[in-house]
Amino acid sequence: MYFGTDLIATWGLNLQFGVTGVLNFAYIVDLAVGAYAYALMTLGPSAASGGFQSYFIGFKLSPILALIIATAAGMAIGGLLSLLGLRRLRPDYQAVALLVVSIVTVTVAEADLGLVNGNAGLTLIPNPLGGFGPTQSGWAYVVLVGVLAAVGYIVVRRLTDSPFGRTLRAVRDDEVAARGIGKNVVWLRAVVQIVGGGFAALSGALLAGFIGAWSPGAWQYVETISLLSAVIVGGMGNNLGVMLGTALVPVLIQQGAQYLPAVAGHPGLAEDMSWVVLGVMIVIFIWFRPQGVIPERRPRYRRLLGLAGAATGGTISPAGATQLPSRAAAAATLPALHLVSRRAEGDLAHDRPLLEVKDVVVQFGGVRAVDSASCVMQAGQITGLIGPNGAGKSSLINAVSGFVRPNHGEVLFAGHDVARLSAERRANMGLVRTFQLPRLFPNLSAIENLLVAVPNQRAERTVGVLGGRSVWGKQEQASLETARELLEIFELAEKVDDMAGTLSGGQQRMLEVTRALMCDPRLLLLDEPLAGLSPHWSEILEQALVQLRARGLSMVLVEHELGIVDRICDNVIVMAQGKVLATGKMTDLRAQEEVQAAYVIG
Amino acid sequence: MNLLIAAVGFGIASGAVIALGSLGFTLQFGLSNVLNIAYGAFLTLAVFIGLLLVNANVNPWIAMIVAALVTGLLSVAYYQALIRGLLRRGASLGSLVIATFGVGIALEYIIVSIFGPEVQSYGLQGGGTVNIGDITLSGLQVAVVVLACAIMLGLHLLLTRTTLGRAMRATSVNRTLARSCGIHTERVTQITWFLSGVLAGIAAVALAMVTASFDFTLGSTFLITVIAAAVVGGIGQPYGAMLGGLIIGLTTEISAAFLSPAYRDVIAFALLVAMLLLRPSGILGIQSRRHNVAG
Repeated sequence: MYFGTDLIATWGLNLQFGVTGVLNFAYIVDLAVGAYAYALMTLGPSAASGGFQSYFIGFKLSPILALIIATAAGMAIGGLLSLLGLRRLRPDYQAVALLVVSIVTVTVAEADLGLVNGNAGLTLIPNPLGGFGPTQSGWAYVVLVGVLAAVGYIVVRRLTDSPFGRTLRAVRDDEVAARGIGKNVVWLRAVVQIVGGGFAALSGALLAGFIGAWSPGAWQYVETISLLSAVIVGGMGNNLGVMLGTALVPVLIQQGAQYLPAVAGHPGLAEDMSWVVLGVMIVIFIWFRPQGVIPERRPRYRRLLGLAGAATGGTISPAGATQLPSRAAAAATLPALHLVSRRAEGDLAHDRPLLEVKDVVVQFGGVRAVDSASCVMQAGQITGLIGPNGAGKSSLINAVSGFVRPNHGEVLFAGHDVARLSAERRANMGLVRTFQLPRLFPNLSAIENLLVAVPNQRAERTVGVLGGRSVWGKQEQASLETARELLEIFELAEKVDDMAGTLSGGQQRMLEVTRALMCDPRLLLLDEPLAGLSPHWSEILEQALVQLRARGLSMVLVEHELGIVDRICDNVIVMAQGKVLATGKMTDLRAQEEVQAAYVIG
Repeated sequence: MNLLIAAVGFGIASGAVIALGSLGFTLQFGLSNVLNIAYGAFLTLAVFIGLLLVNANVNPWIAMIVAALVTGLLSVAYYQALIRGLLRRGASLGSLVIATFGVGIALEYIIVSIFGPEVQSYGLQGGGTVNIGDITLSGLQVAVVVLACAIMLGLHLLLTRTTLGRAMRATSVNRTLARSCGIHTERVTQITWFLSGVLAGIAAVALAMVTASFDFTLGSTFLITVIAAAVVGGIGQPYGAMLGGLIIGLTTEISAAFLSPAYRDVIAFALLVAMLLLRPSGILGIQSRRHNVAG
């Protein structure tokens, strides 16, 4: 019984923390709200209780309706809690804020204000199956909870083991990178707060109905830690692992404690010790096995895609590598590059500049990193952005891509001022960037890093994903094809199922560029893509960029290495000390004295 | 009016204790960038070490010093054994918080299983009363305020006038740069954790002396007040902690006098959440660039 209700709660928590990385120390509040909501919906008017318990509102609804209302109430509270996420706080600050919310809520409930009968709590809560209290229903209740847990499992599985779950994991792994590929991080976190809140509330309602009573003692903030420990021990992000964790921690250790013989003189010793064990267990797992007993598993695509090495079951064989088409052959065809530049072609038809930067100022304290910079970037071209260290190139890229809000000025993208839009909105419009230091999703495989970047995924519509594979399967298949070809072009096919975090520096950078291409960009902002790359990788990248331009894709290339700028850039913008110094063809720029001076001084 | 002035007096008294506790917390955070929830359990621990000694007829002030030193040593041990290792393993901020939470729960319930959940007291007399205008404080409260001021002055001198203090500030601002300047950052961090443990010990025992009765939840409740003070002033900033302590002390006591004492803590918590939402860097905090600026 407790296993079933705890399981519903821990699955919801796993969705929040294990999968999405939202550390919700107020999770138990969601659960309590469900319990109270169920109680108030079934107890009947406060006056009718003979005055021995008082509460602010009461109805006598059918238990099933009450369960539904309780779940909805939990979802509403989850939505409220997610408002805290609007300020992008450090994750640990946010955790503390939620912890405080949890403590304050208990304090308010304990105070006897006629809300929910204060510290004494509510009693005589009707059992959904009739009567009051645990003895009334027995096995029937176990079946009820079991059925609801099974439904919960299907829901949570569709959310976590789908492209939607992949997007959530991307948010967990690197929030900045997730915004960079157009994911609305605040909204996604709100979704898991709402859905998780529903799970918690259902669990709470079932508990209250079973026990027949509910009081503040049952939802002190440490109870969240008890549920959290099930997720940590079982395996973050793995629903079955969490099931095991739930059996071990809240059920075995905590419920089990009450069956231990009492020690004379220490009435609560067994329960106290169970908390000690729980605390120590959390520390031991975070230290020795942060992934939990059953680690998160990622889907494997090598065999599915018929890539080299499939015969050896996922291990990389040197022989397999030779089956790949040679680099020259791949570059000659490049069918995937056509797929990734679908939107870009439309921009070629207009004669206005694709990107226009007007008087942009970016200020950090007293330093003007970008000082009234203005420049234009034409569609169908590779525009070089060069300048000495500290010239403001990266700050300008940040301002254009939305990671820094300019203090002043306009950023016109295809005629629209995007200077006030969020980074994710701009990415969705086709203004996609890479970072100076590659930012991948380290706990997603190489190909998942690509698939997650696909814009407008059907599986990302929260209600849609519950429909299962029939909703998103077809789109996923098309994305897989594109991803496969891109991986081959960038010589990453062997690494398809490797976690991105385990790739070499050069591979990571290649993968980041590839991921940006999956976003279907109209203007690709590359921030020093060649820095630290071996000649081998540089050559592949250079070829690809030239091919992409031929397919109509517009790019901005921030680079220190002037050789490649010379070779492939159509137009070059020179920055120094936050200002645009000169623009034009590289050959003309070389002749200008001020450009030379900037480089010598810089 | 009299009520307000009296409340201000109480506010200064409790603000002094909060400031001490908050200083210890903020020093840890400033040097190691860890939000250490177990700090609450260390507070409780210090109080119960003090209780053991007071029950053995040790002078309470000596008990305070011993409890503070023991807590300081345990704090270093805790840093050495757990925090440093987790930081080196690259644990995420989230799992660090949970780990410190785990330690806090374990320690708290070890204390319960030894001392029991009953309400305890040092059984100290107030030491007469001191009247300053409309403010009436017990001799004990005045002594605690004086002690707190002395410690804060000492810490100020340490941070500004000594090599160690400058090394602490440098390490707090930029650990890597400090290390390349030849500062033994690991040693500095260990000393800081010792100091913060000592401050926790003094604050906790002082709190127990002033409030007369307490139980094992003292630390976890006081922790939130301590965090609130640290955040209001600007987390990681020693002077912010002092200012924050005073602000929290005054607002809670004044609201307790005019509203209901039951909501004393709720006011502090509300201030904390409001501050986190409106100005997470705190009053004295530098409005730094967002921690995760790209590029």
